[in-house]
Amino acid sequence: MPINWKQYQAAGLWDELVTPSGRARPGAGPLLRVLSRLTDEALSERAAAAELAIRTMGITFTVYDTGQPGGIDREWPFDIVPRLIRKREWDAIAQGLAQRVRALNAFIDDVYHHQRILRDGVVPAAYIEKSREFRPRCVGIDPPHGVWSHVCGTDLVRDQDGALYVLEDNLRVPSGVSYMLENRAVMKRVFPELFKDYVIHPVDDYPQRLAACLRSLAPEGNDSPQIVVLTPGIYNSAYFEHAYLAQAMGAELVEGADLRVGADDCVYMKTIAGRVRVDVIYRRIDDLFLDPKAFRADSVLGVPGLMRAWQAGNVALANAPGCGVADDKVIYTYVPDMVRYYLGEEPLLANVPSYRCVEKADRDYVLDNLDKLVVKPANESGGYGMLIGPMASKRQRNAFARAVRANPRNYMAQPMLILSTAPTLAGAPGSVDRMQPRHLDLRPFILSGAETHVTMGGLTRVAMKKGSMVVNSSQGGGSKDTWILDLPP
Amino acid sequence: MSHSVLSRVAERIYWLGRYTERADNTARLINVNTNMLMDLPTRRPLGWRPLIDITGSGALFDSLYSDASERNVCRFLTSDARHPSAITSAISAARENARTVRETMPGPTFEYVNDLHLFARSALGPNLSRGKRHAALEGINNRVQRLEGFLSQNMMHGAHWQLLRLGSRIERADMTTRIIDVRSDDLLPPGHDLAPFQEIQWRSVLGSLNARQSYQAATGAPISRSRVLEFLLREPGLPRSYAYCLSAMRRHIRSLPRHEAPLRACDQAAAFLASANPGALDGESLHRFLDECQVQLGILHEAVTNTWFRVPEDALQPAPSQGEIPFGSTRLMPPESVPPQREGSPQ
Repeated sequence: MPINWKQYQAAGLWDELVTPSGRARPGAGPLLRVLSRLTDEALSERAAAAELAIRTMGITFTVYDTGQPGGIDREWPFDIVPRLIRKREWDAIAQGLAQRVRALNAFIDDVYHHQRILRDGVVPAAYIEKSREFRPRCVGIDPPHGVWSHVCGTDLVRDQDGALYVLEDNLRVPSGVSYMLENRAVMKRVFPELFKDYVIHPVDDYPQRLAACLRSLAPEGNDSPQIVVLTPGIYNSAYFEHAYLAQAMGAELVEGADLRVGADDCVYMKTIAGRVRVDVIYRRIDDLFLDPKAFRADSVLGVPGLMRAWQAGNVALANAPGCGVADDKVIYTYVPDMVRYYLGEEPLLANVPSYRCVEKADRDYVLDNLDKLVVKPANESGGYGMLIGPMASKRQRNAFARAVRANPRNYMAQPMLILSTAPTLAGAPGSVDRMQPRHLDLRPFILSGAETHVTMGGLTRVAMKKGSMVVNSSQGGGSKDTWILDLPP
Repeated sequence: MSHSVLSRVAERIYWLGRYTERADNTARLINVNTNMLMDLPTRRPLGWRPLIDITGSGALFDSLYSDASERNVCRFLTSDARHPSAITSAISAARENARTVRETMPGPTFEYVNDLHLFARSALGPNLSRGKRHAALEGINNRVQRLEGFLSQNMMHGAHWQLLRLGSRIERADMTTRIIDVRSDDLLPPGHDLAPFQEIQWRSVLGSLNARQSYQAATGAPISRSRVLEFLLREPGLPRSYAYCLSAMRRHIRSLPRHEAPLRACDQAAAFLASANPGALDGESLHRFLDECQVQLGILHEAVTNTWFRVPEDALQPAPSQGEIPFGSTRLMPPESVPPQREGSPQ
């Protein structure tokens, strides 16, 4: 039976498309009407068409825990209902993202030079001294344009009152942008008619923007620099994206063993025509695996001598080693202060209210309210090592209390947000609740080189399980296309 | 930006070509042998052992099986995971190579390779009956041909393509000499009362190379030992003849950069063939001649590897061991495939 939006169950939630009374939010009207005109079978056909497109386009990600060596390729889970954001709102968000990444890059550059922000007492020096991601080898290095994090993926969430927050900034090697691009390609195949009703801003300029950003990092005097994408190899969960971006940019996809650092401290790749100089490396390998001579000696993924070549300015690394020092959940709490300190501006985007366990008043509050808070360790990513207080057992909470007391620097806490939702094709065919609200977040990508560029929207990740707020693809998350819309005034 | 091929990718593509060709040839070999044995009287001195010798895997086979029965030989050649050149092993290796260079080939390539792999795994079980064997092996041939045809019509005929074809042709040249070698030397002892069946065996040699009609059309003559040898080794128009493979390899080699050493090796092999008169060689000297052909293909393979797959720094390091040398010249294997790596995963 066709969808009746009055029966859509979004009470107590902030839904991106539907108000609590079942009306369309501004801009969502045409989409909801098209969806409700489709019969049950037609909806199923569209979903099947999307699945088929994903299969034939070979959009996959790798999952590990299947008992198969090296993991297996899974098709990318995708929901056919797009998430909409009005252009005017997006422009303001994009400005805020650019501001934030400018401040973060200034912070990283400062940390590896004069450390003014530490000496001025805005960020406690102890945080940096004890940071796992601080790399003494990077002190005094001057990467081009003073930029360290060239590709940043910032996760945005909306709370149940509609307020938008920055959840975290992924400054090291964020992934997901290829899925943002592929989602749009799938939607064009599945809902071509909607592209007539709407003015949707395109996203497919990203590979060219990324290539331009990387080119702007090349050592001086090279008009057509050789750019490569450095991947850990086919067993990495994001290998699809590495290959995708390399192909789209016309760059070479290389593994560590394809590269050599010569006696002249320049980087070369081994080709059938002999060695070819490499100018810019978009590396999709973590710092510690980049160079077995500088970091982990047991790494077989990296290139011996790469740090030396980078320090000599003979090759650009994006993102720069050491930029993870700002990718820390505790440092995150200082980003609004960084914006004021380095830019002299008020932050345009808000952080989620946060408590620093190292400060006594905050810590006492956290320990007294563990059942209401989400507690996060400073340096984990992908949702690992977190305590979700309201859902944890008493034992888990006690264990976390002990961990927080033992090492308060390593923890911060935030109230549990109820993430906003969007209608998702989740119910069985024929049921009244075919469309159900599912929680989501948004990861835009910010490119920084000679210029700054923010993607038009980003990757919307959605928790496909009812009530779940875990959007990671490895844990049952899916995704939606994200439309930035021009609306008539 | 240069459009050169990474050495690692070049090596993978070259081995993709070799392995698919190896699987194809092995499948055809088994079917042709089956047919030939049906045409011979029951008390035949011939059996399945020659297939083991053709594929140069005698030592490995003898260490795994006690006798060269039809069942043992077919299992060994089709699906024994302990045998790296068994059809299923060769196809798995081809698939692994294709997987690592997926982004350099036209979109559906990997699907074709994967389909071949899935088919081989399901159709070539350890207990494959004789009744189903023919169709299963033909299925392998058809799928390899489909892949070849698809690539030939859809892949850019650039350096990647040249490397793929080079691998496939060197494997084919090698197999042609091996088939002739074993089939000519070992077929029937002189003076045996099965002499009238000589023709059957030479027909099966032609059949192994899909060359019966071509032979008839090109020579218009009855099947004779010297004419078949001449045809399979020197016929410039026959795609599986040794001469054809060499001239195809020469074209592929010349289109690649820094080709001096491989080209020299290829020309040497061609000059050696031109100087011989294979039709006139008797059993022992023919065997020595074919052995020398295989040695020269080995030298060419080394030249290809050292020129395009290894950089000078690597040449200083000891080359990886190539394992046993079971028969004549060894059948070369690529370096081990990349081990699974999960460290350094991005966020």
